[in-house]
Amino acid sequence: MKSLTIRNLSKTYFDVHAGANVTAVRDLSLEVPAGEFVSIVGPSGCGKTTLLNMIAGFIPHTGGEILVGGRPVKGPGPDRGVVFQSWALFPWRTVLDNVAFGPKMRGVGRAEREKIAHDYLALAKLSEAAGRYPNELSGGMQQRVGVVRALANEPDVLLMDEPFASVDAQTRMTLQEELTRIWEQKRPTVIFITHDVAEAVFLGNRVVALSKGRVLEEITVDLPRPRVWDDLNKDDRFKALTARVLQLVRSA
Amino acid sequence: MSTLLLKTWSHYLRLTTQWPSIGTIVPFIPLIVAWWIVTALQVFPPAFLPGPADVVRSFGTLVYTGVLPEYLQDSVVRLIVGSFWGIMLGIPLGLLVGLSQRVHKALWPLLMFFQAIGDIAWLPILVIWFGYGLVTMTVVIVYTVIFPVILNTVLGVRSIPINMHRAALSLGASRTRMLWEVVLPGALPNIMTGLRNGLGYGWRALIATEIIVGTSGIGFLMFDARRAGSVVEILLGMIILGTLWYIVDSWILAPIERATGQRWGLVTK
Repeated sequence: MKSLTIRNLSKTYFDVHAGANVTAVRDLSLEVPAGEFVSIVGPSGCGKTTLLNMIAGFIPHTGGEILVGGRPVKGPGPDRGVVFQSWALFPWRTVLDNVAFGPKMRGVGRAEREKIAHDYLALAKLSEAAGRYPNELSGGMQQRVGVVRALANEPDVLLMDEPFASVDAQTRMTLQEELTRIWEQKRPTVIFITHDVAEAVFLGNRVVALSKGRVLEEITVDLPRPRVWDDLNKDDRFKALTARVLQLVRSA
Repeated sequence: MSTLLLKTWSHYLRLTTQWPSIGTIVPFIPLIVAWWIVTALQVFPPAFLPGPADVVRSFGTLVYTGVLPEYLQDSVVRLIVGSFWGIMLGIPLGLLVGLSQRVHKALWPLLMFFQAIGDIAWLPILVIWFGYGLVTMTVVIVYTVIFPVILNTVLGVRSIPINMHRAALSLGASRTRMLWEVVLPGALPNIMTGLRNGLGYGWRALIATEIIVGTSGIGFLMFDARRAGSVVEILLGMIILGTLWYIVDSWILAPIERATGQRWGLVTK
């Protein structure tokens, strides 16, 4: 696990349709210590996905710097695992081979990487799906595989881009509870992008509200763990925090 | 009456799931019966339209004399040699054009231009350059096979979702690994479509070429039979063409598709 430091980050690009320069992220700074779970919320177009894509190295930034464990980000790399909203599993690989992909790229031998994959699949209660192809799984299961695939590569920072946005409400709650459980076991550094305020508070140690490409406010979430929905739904502090973040986002 | 039909139909469905080859043969039965009736009634003179029995007899004779096995082998070898080079050149070229904007810019207009010049249109000049031999035939088949393979490979490469590339890169895949692990499997369903089209066109181009410049092969057999006025052998050649393609498709291409794109959910069954 490593820390993530973002200093005065900005992203300006030329919008062909608008015929003008657009600033998606401006002068954004954020410090995430190793092992922290940070949720980033904001309305559509606030720059949160652009921010994540820059941290992942998928798109270049135009100003400032991004440091992972003190080293500047130059393009995508295995030190930053990514969980996509659309899952992006490899349809031509079984669930086991999807999860073993990262270790395979690192040069880990077959027996060893399959053991790693089996261990991580067990962690997400996916052992029985190991031999199946992604298209044979439900959306919720596919996203579990997506999370586990990123984790199995033991990245320094885990980047999650609205990963639970396209599953049904019940499955989403289960996935959120599983994610906090796994996070407590493995303690990776996590950047979790979402537009769902309750989700942001439920999962994070800290919630960062984004607006128009900059940090609006950071709110510490000091709710005890393990967190489960049955408890938090009755918890006044959870309700108060959620209300506050919601107000922030709506005023943005 | 209708329940009886329905019952027979459900029996037939069960039978064909158990023995798929029955499902292949049965649709041809009415066709052969109709053919037999028309010839038995002598609607046309036998020299114009021989019956199924005549064709079977001619098949026996040609196999016995060794002409058919030799011609068949010649045609199939030509198709294999031509297709092999068409695929070996077409897939890498398709990957290159699909992956690189620069190569795409440089080659696309050329591809479009040469694709438009049909395979047979090359024959006059090829005969002058290479004569009536294997080289001419191979060039025609390669030419026919390569374009559908290239164009479909390009399409396949370009239809891989960007997040698939991103996922692989952020899991530590190098550029070379990407080619094997993401680009090739991702493009495979389209490459298979290209192969299916390419081989189909190649097969037809081969027969046309044999008719025009051949000295052996199924196409030559048919054209030679026309010279001799032997409609039986022409019909036999046509039946062999259809049967052979059916075998290539159902024994080679379809199983590959079932094991890849269909299994992965990238192609609907």
